[in-house]
Amino acid sequence: MTADVRTDEVEFNVGNIQGNILRGYRRNFVRYLMLEVTDRSAARRFLADSVAGGTSNVPGITSAVIWKQRPTYCFNIGVTCDGLAALGITQDQLATFPTEFTQGMARRAMKLGDFGDSAPENWPAPFDQPERVHVVAAIYTDAQQDLDALQDQVVASFNLLGVRNGRNLAGNKVFFGYVDSISQPRFNHVHDPDQIGVDEPIDPLGTALLGYPTRYERVRFRIPEPQELGRDGSFNAFRVLAQDAAGFESYLDRAATELLAHPDVDQLLTPGEEWRIGEDLDRHGALREIVAAQMCGRWRNGMPVASSPDAQQPDPDNPVSLTNFDYDRMSRCPAGSHMRRVNPRGGPIVQRIANYTRRLVRRGMSYGPDFDPANPDDEERGLLGNFIGANLGAQFEAVMCDWLNLGLQNPDVTGSNDPLIGANTPETSWFDLSLKNGGTIRLRGFPRFVTTRGGAYLFLPSLPAIRHLSELTD
Amino acid sequence: MKPPAGCGTPRPARSRGAEPMANENGWLNQYINSLPERGWFKFLATRVVLPYWIWRDPKPKLMGGPRISPQPSENVQRMMNLIMPLRDSSPIGRAKAALAIAQNVDEIFAGLDNVGTVHFARFLLIDDYICMISVYDGDFSNYIRDFITTIGSVFDAVMSLVEGGDDMIPTERNVEKFIDWVQAHDLFQAPDFPTDLFGLQDGAKGVTPNIAPHELASLPRELILQLHANPNISLGGGYRAYPGVSAAQVRSKFGVGW
Repeated sequence: MTADVRTDEVEFNVGNIQGNILRGYRRNFVRYLMLEVTDRSAARRFLADSVAGGTSNVPGITSAVIWKQRPTYCFNIGVTCDGLAALGITQDQLATFPTEFTQGMARRAMKLGDFGDSAPENWPAPFDQPERVHVVAAIYTDAQQDLDALQDQVVASFNLLGVRNGRNLAGNKVFFGYVDSISQPRFNHVHDPDQIGVDEPIDPLGTALLGYPTRYERVRFRIPEPQELGRDGSFNAFRVLAQDAAGFESYLDRAATELLAHPDVDQLLTPGEEWRIGEDLDRHGALREIVAAQMCGRWRNGMPVASSPDAQQPDPDNPVSLTNFDYDRMSRCPAGSHMRRVNPRGGPIVQRIANYTRRLVRRGMSYGPDFDPANPDDEERGLLGNFIGANLGAQFEAVMCDWLNLGLQNPDVTGSNDPLIGANTPETSWFDLSLKNGGTIRLRGFPRFVTTRGGAYLFLPSLPAIRHLSELTD
Repeated sequence: MKPPAGCGTPRPARSRGAEPMANENGWLNQYINSLPERGWFKFLATRVVLPYWIWRDPKPKLMGGPRISPQPSENVQRMMNLIMPLRDSSPIGRAKAALAIAQNVDEIFAGLDNVGTVHFARFLLIDDYICMISVYDGDFSNYIRDFITTIGSVFDAVMSLVEGGDDMIPTERNVEKFIDWVQAHDLFQAPDFPTDLFGLQDGAKGVTPNIAPHELASLPRELILQLHANPNISLGGGYRAYPGVSAAQVRSKFGVGW
């Protein structure tokens, strides 16, 4: 990554940007600290030390500059609208931030599908008092034992409201058993070794950062005032998402049993081809995996359904790319699948001009105990997700309310929600499996597998912006 | 009044307080019922009682447009009634507005086509306003954002006719501000269930809806006070001949492509 690049008359300096926006750290552990600013000057002193690189008592903010030596930990912060006010940003300045951010995640609940069990009224502390959550600080490390000491350093300057611990599951999986973190936006001017050979279109910096061109021709998102606060900043929808792994596995059992009795089942799985799904699978087991794959858009090993619709283990002589594929009208990957909903790529969508405009950077780690499908339990477990973009309304919310739920992008799925993470109820949920002959089998009656347990809309300030916040006086 | 002829069931005992029922058409009732038409009462209501209540219990202006619902079928075919004050409402100003729309009509229609989620849209000149009336699917901000990004230059032409529009030009650089402005100028849609008004008023004040109970009898007063804050409103969400169907689903059914 070179330091200063001119992009459309704007200087881009990676040293100004928090390091968790444009690429992932790939650490084993993360700890999120939900913090309240109770002593404004202590908080400002902390920010001043942190942005200056840290001291022996204050962790330094990690920037996007490529490190020569891998640091023992990374540290980043996000600030809510109430947090900006608590640090001394004026009401007039806050009014230049987007409405969805100033309202906060809890007040956008209906748009995000956070109703019923997911409603903010049911969020546990600290998110039951969203106005007190001012700063969410994230500590990333490979050594779990470092977390407590770093937490103590942060808590010396803030009131600690809550803690969430995340970790990478073995094999980069999520609790539903899928390999995750395969596809991310690629950015102009950013070298990311994870992205070599990926052929998705390059995203302009304005997808994730304020002050740069966006995927929309001529459109720039507004930089909040003052400029040193807004420029090079980003927004993050931080979400605590409980995943009902036991419920998902037991639904797959039920769906496979129903499918075995379905007259068209051979169009879903040719008898004798179960081995292509998994070596030791019987017909019921193979059908379970097909349902899981079509609901997600990837097989659980990460293989895209679009490129390998009938085999989790494609022919080794014809390797299938995990990242390079597209959807078309003949695609066997269902339009209602999770992946195709959240990122329809270049595929046909109703909102013709919206292809690639709602891209999100996703960074997540799992929380809760391991899940063993052979011995299912009901412990709470899930994902601590960060959905990052320059405009929450145009990206995160736009995906959540029109594509992920509702399914406006394709008339064949309109009226249904994302089968994996949508706001489903068994009474109304449906999902169409795609068959080899072009037909479909409709699955019904699945519950909501992912429940929101909290979250916050965060502004991810640039390093100069953190300095600005630390220098406020009144 | 004679009780109904005995039909086997014992007649419930009447309490003393219910006796005046027998006097329904008595002079006092007639007088009270006629109050709303009496001049002194109208004067008192509009000049004294109403200003007092506006002072005592002011209602924040309720946001325009349809509200997001957990029910997917409620989130398609949504109505927009965008009422924009004309900068110049003289016949010459109106002619300019008519010309701006006429010159750009092909681009506007092409833009709506590309947005893909719009059923119907039309422009009207009414009194001091230029209005855009449309029916669209899904989220309001996505509709407006996609529309601006498709035909932003046309929106700039429309906004130049509108009072306060200069702050939004060019719309492509003021997407967030423009979306907020449109929402503020889209008519508030009175809820289809009248008592839902209570919850909306609570929400606008930043309190959890309906936690404090509302008395049904206060609904007329609450409505009057709301109509003070939102004089122009849409009366309910409107009629749909085929609810729950998106524009793309209609096009797909008729084989005209989506």
